[in-house]
Amino acid sequence: MNIKRDIPTATLSGFALSAVLVLTLITILLQYLPLSQQRVGDALLALNEKEGVANVVTTVVVYFRGFDTLGEIAVLFIASLGVGVMLQPNTECRLKAESNFMLQTASTLLFPLIILFGIYVMVYGHLSPGGGFQGGVIIASGVLLLLISHKNFEVPHTVIVAFETFAGVSYVLIGLMGLLLLDTFLGNFIPHDIANMGMLLSGGVIPLIYIIVGIKVGSEMSGIVQNLMQRSDDV
Amino acid sequence: MTGFIILATFVGIIVVAFASVVQKRLADSVVFLMGVGLGSVVLFFLFKAPDVALTEAVIGAGVGTFIFLIALKHLGEQA
Amino acid sequence: MFEFLNQPEVIKTIVTLGAMLLFFVGLFGLLTRKHIVKVFISIAIMESAIFLLFIGLSFNREKVAPIIDATQTQVATMNDPIPQAMILTAIVIGMAVLALGVSFAIEYYKLTGKTEIDTMNEMRF
Repeated sequence: MNIKRDIPTATLSGFALSAVLVLTLITILLQYLPLSQQRVGDALLALNEKEGVANVVTTVVVYFRGFDTLGEIAVLFIASLGVGVMLQPNTECRLKAESNFMLQTASTLLFPLIILFGIYVMVYGHLSPGGGFQGGVIIASGVLLLLISHKNFEVPHTVIVAFETFAGVSYVLIGLMGLLLLDTFLGNFIPHDIANMGMLLSGGVIPLIYIIVGIKVGSEMSGIVQNLMQRSDDV
Repeated sequence: MTGFIILATFVGIIVVAFASVVQKRLADSVVFLMGVGLGSVVLFFLFKAPDVALTEAVIGAGVGTFIFLIALKHLGEQA
Repeated sequence: MFEFLNQPEVIKTIVTLGAMLLFFVGLFGLLTRKHIVKVFISIAIMESAIFLLFIGLSFNREKVAPIIDATQTQVATMNDPIPQAMILTAIVIGMAVLALGVSFAIEYYKLTGKTEIDTMNEMRF
C-alpha cells in the first residue's frame, strides 16, 4: 500500500486534522467529568421493587421502555422484508454444500441441543442474563447449522410466516389489553406477587412479552439466513 | 488488576481492527472482525454487563460473520 | 502500578481514548478502501467502538451487575441498567441493517458485475 499513490492527500490531511481536534476536545472534557454523578438509573432501580423481577435490565427493556422494543421489532421486520424482496429466493438453486458424513451426523445430533438451549435462555430471561433477543438468535444459528450441512433441508415458508405474524399480532394485543384494563399501553395487568422474586412464574406479563419477542426475532433471523443461502443464480 | 486487563484488551482490539482494515484478502478481514467481537465480549464482561456480553457473543460471532461470508461467496471472491 | 491503573479517572481515560482510537481506525478504513464489503466491515468496527464507549463511561468498579439474587438484594449498589438496555437494542439493529446492505451489494453485483465503489457511476451526471 503506497501511501502517496493510493490515498489522496486531501483525505489524509482531513482525517489527521479531525483526529487531532477530537482527541484534544475529549482530553479537555475529561477534566470536568464528575465522578460521583447522579445516575438516571437510580429512580428506575427503586421502581423495580414493585414489579418483582430479578433481572433489572429485562424490566427496563420490556416494561419501562417497552415502546422502544416495539419499534425495534418493527425495524427488524422491515430489514427482513427488504432482504426477502431484493434476493428473490428460489428453492431449486442454492449454494452447493458438499459436506461429508461426519458433519451431517454431528449436526443432526447437535440441533436439538441448540434449540433446547435457545428456549432455555428465552424462558429464563427474567431471572438470569439472557432474554428474547439472545434466545432467538441462538435458535437461528441452530437452523443455520442444519442449512449448511444438509443438502435438501429448508424451513417451509409458511411456517416462518405463521410464527412471525402470531408473535407480532400478539405483542400489540397484549399492549391493547393493558390499555383496556389499566389505562396504560403495555401495562402489567396480570396479578404478580413481589414475594415470588426469583421463581419462574413472577413478574406478571414481562416474561410473556419477552418470549413473544424471542419467537419473532428467531423466525426473522432464520428467514434472513435462508434467503441469503437460496438466492437464485439467473437474474 | 481490572484496569490492567482493560488496558491490555484495548491494545489487542485496536491492533486486530487495524489488521482487519489493511488486509488484501477479504476472508481474512472477516475473521479479524470476529476477533474484534471477541475482545468486545471480554470488555463487556469486565464492565459488569452480562446481558450485553451475551448478545454481542451470539450476534458478532454467530450470525453476523456468516452474513459477511455468504456475501463474499456470492460476489465470487476467493474464500 | 496496578493500584494506579485501578483509579476511576484513569479507567475512564483509558476507555475514552481506546474507544476513540478504534473509531478512527474504522473511519480510516471507511474513507480509503475501495471494495464495498470492506466498507461494511469498517462500519461494523465503528459501531463496536461506540458501544464500548457508552458502557465504559457508566462503569463503576465497586458496584456489581444489575441482577438481584439471594446475596445481592440492595439496589443502590448496582451498576446503571439503562445504558445496557439501550445498547442491547442497538446491537441487534446494527446487524440487521448490515444484512440489508449486503443484500443490496449482492444484487448490484449480479446486475452489473462491479464491486469497487470507484466504478459505480451510473447516477453521475
